[in-house]
Amino acid sequence: MKLHLIATALLFTATMAIASPEVGKPAPAFTLTDSNGKSHSLSDFKGKFVVLEWVNLGCPFVKKFYDSGEMQKLQAAHTGKDVVWLSICSSAEGKQGHHTPAELQAKLESIGYKGTGYLIDADGTVGKAYEARTTPEMFVINPEGVLIYKGAIDDKPSTDSADIAAARNFVAAALGEATSGQAVTTAETKSYGCSVKY
Amino acid sequence: MFRSWLTILAVTIIICGTPHASVAQVLDGKTLVKAELISSARAIAPGETFYIGLKLTMEPGWHTYWEYPGDAGIPTKIKWDLPPGFGAGPIEWPIPKAKLEPGDIEVYGYSGEVVLLIAIQPSADLAPGTEVTLRAAASWLVCEEICIPGSAKVEITLPVAATASASEFAKTIADWQTRVPSAEPPPFDVAWSESEGLLTAQIPASTEIQDVRFFPLPGDNQSVGHPIVTKSPDGAYSVKVKSGAPLRGVIAAKVNGEERSWLVVAQSGAAEMAETSSDASPGLIEALPPLWQALLFGFLGGIILNLMPCVLPVISLKIFGFIRQAGDDPRQILLHGVAFSSGIFFWFLGLGAVIVALKASGTEVTWAFQFQNPMFILVIAAVVFVFALNLCGVFELTLPGKAVGTMSDLSGKEGFSGSFFQGVFATLLATPCTGPFLGTALGFAFSQPGGVVMAMFGSIALGMASPYLLLSARPGWMKFLPKPGAWMEKLKQFMAFPLFATLLWLLSILGGQKGIDGILWTSAFLLSLGLAVWIYGAFCGPLSSVRTRIVAVLCALGVAVGGGWFFIGSGFLAATASAQSAAESKDAIRWQPFSQALVDELLAAGKPVFIDFTADWCITCKFNERTAINTPAVRALIEELGVVPVKADWTNSNPEITAALKAFGRVGVPFYVIYPAGRANEPITLPEILTESIVIEALKKSR
Repeated sequence: MKLHLIATALLFTATMAIASPEVGKPAPAFTLTDSNGKSHSLSDFKGKFVVLEWVNLGCPFVKKFYDSGEMQKLQAAHTGKDVVWLSICSSAEGKQGHHTPAELQAKLESIGYKGTGYLIDADGTVGKAYEARTTPEMFVINPEGVLIYKGAIDDKPSTDSADIAAARNFVAAALGEATSGQAVTTAETKSYGCSVKY
Repeated sequence: MFRSWLTILAVTIIICGTPHASVAQVLDGKTLVKAELISSARAIAPGETFYIGLKLTMEPGWHTYWEYPGDAGIPTKIKWDLPPGFGAGPIEWPIPKAKLEPGDIEVYGYSGEVVLLIAIQPSADLAPGTEVTLRAAASWLVCEEICIPGSAKVEITLPVAATASASEFAKTIADWQTRVPSAEPPPFDVAWSESEGLLTAQIPASTEIQDVRFFPLPGDNQSVGHPIVTKSPDGAYSVKVKSGAPLRGVIAAKVNGEERSWLVVAQSGAAEMAETSSDASPGLIEALPPLWQALLFGFLGGIILNLMPCVLPVISLKIFGFIRQAGDDPRQILLHGVAFSSGIFFWFLGLGAVIVALKASGTEVTWAFQFQNPMFILVIAAVVFVFALNLCGVFELTLPGKAVGTMSDLSGKEGFSGSFFQGVFATLLATPCTGPFLGTALGFAFSQPGGVVMAMFGSIALGMASPYLLLSARPGWMKFLPKPGAWMEKLKQFMAFPLFATLLWLLSILGGQKGIDGILWTSAFLLSLGLAVWIYGAFCGPLSSVRTRIVAVLCALGVAVGGGWFFIGSGFLAATASAQSAAESKDAIRWQPFSQALVDELLAAGKPVFIDFTADWCITCKFNERTAINTPAVRALIEELGVVPVKADWTNSNPEITAALKAFGRVGVPFYVIYPAGRANEPITLPEILTESIVIEALKKSR
């Protein structure tokens, strides 16, 4: 059993090392534990669209979306349409955004989190595999497990929630196009935000 | 809990209410960022541009961001609230520092202190004795481990005076200006190449160039990796950056220990550029004359060069030389003629070789480029002046092995080498005088490969040399020349006057480059040179004792070197270029000066119009013009589509241009607008930062 675990871990690390996230290519596989202690693997969601949202609840660019309730709205709208929404926090222990599962449960409850799961990636393995550099930074994966969007959440790089209304949300646009069988017009953008606190 | 609540309160209350000269962003009692406006001018003058700096002082360990923040962060922004008639340029960003964070995250920003610079163009209608207040809302992101957005309303009040005066911050602002990348090309070779999404630049080894860095300025959503700069053991640098071409960026380096930086466009070298331009501009190539015609024009141009005003004094010198040689035998005269012609060929072929070399290195060179260099003109002016004083009889050069100054003596005493140098000198002064024929021939030459360029320059040299070859080959015609005598001294003195006239012409070029100050400092230097040669002439005659001579030579040298040190070193070099830069007058795009009446008329006629709102003090404008507008492909497209190029030059205050900018909701330059043919109500506005492809795309839409 132990041997099996190590072998999986090694295989897993090896996959990580060669996989660089590229639009049009299979998204790197991962397994992470959420704030409720539940384990999620990307492979569990084959057959569904998956959104990955890099998060750090202390970052002003992230707060822009959570304090205004816009992120929760976006999560609710898509999880309601059978899209899987995974928030991933790669903040290292002791750095901004890192919380214990207990703290997180209270926090997510109070902000009215509407995603599928809030995953903890304290050693940054998955963040580095996806080359996530900012919070927020968004990835959209199609039912075949292929990355179809990566980059910014929208086209207004600011910390001001007043900018959200006039912004073009790239994630909503990509999901809208992909779920109706169209090609994604804007498949790659430069993300903006705080650096991920690895 | 209470503590974090306090923190939130402290961060949230970023001093609202009345604006201050200096505003602080405070967290946990620490001043993260202090923001204030500083002005280069204590008092401003109506219509006279000055600089405002947004000075951000950061808590140790915290940083704000550059124009391109890197993998994370956002740049500082400034929103102006200016009095009527005022305009503000874009932020001029000093070069940042790169910072690598865990997880391979690279950001570009400033720690400690930074002054972001903005050129301010005051209204021309200001009344001296009044005061103006400039208000700005600045916003930034400041990060350490964590990031906190900050903002501040800052303002500065300045008195208006008839003449502007410098403030105590003028030096601070000037210091920061030296860290803003120049729009000029770097003074060293940067050879870019591209292969499989990796851009590589090679910078040859030089003891003067150290600590090379590269900061990318990618376009919207242009993906760019982290630049890697390596130094080879021989001192050459290579810059590697993962990105598609073209990529804008900044090359920074320490040149002789001083921090310098330049805006560049990374793309594969000259070969690719030439390919694009010839593909995109078949019309231009077809419009040029065939080779034989161009060579003929070159030849005729060369002959005409002899008649140009800037050659006249040299022609008179040559006549003088021929008079001296009339006593020699015919064969000698022919050999002198050939030596003189060799000098002409030497100069032109040398110039041709330099141009071929510069073409190969990818630098755009225009005819008479050497006369665009003020130091070159200064040296020529000094030589001409000293030579004129020599002709006047202020001093006699009796030392052997002297320079160009005693051409007539050289030609007589040192034989053919003298004639050779006369040829070189004559041609040196003739270069900027390009006649209409020569212009066409050269226009052709610059679009041609190296061999053809050399042929062109050869034919010009032949044209210029032909009268002398002819005269020296038919020495019989020399019998018409007057016999030598005492009148020669008078003639020699008279010859000084055409030289002084040439000096006036050289000073007028300097005035175009360096303004009235440039002329003044040059004249002051010439004055000291004049005094120096007078001391030499008066006390170094053959009758003076050796001691007197040594003292006189030392005095003369002291005066000349001291004059050069003081007048040129501190005055001339600091003199600012005039409004019309030399490069601009060589603009191949036939810009029409902006007036609303002209634009209205063109639009009513259904013409496509391209308006370039620009100013000399706007580095971004100059950079765009150099790299994205005044390029062969854009020029050809403007011609092909019949687009009327209009330049709204906002260097000096112009209410009409200000109003036109305002109509588009702009307060500053750069700004670009294209009116498509027949659709004057659908203007296309271009971004502030241009690439050649953006301009070409927009122009194509104007059809």
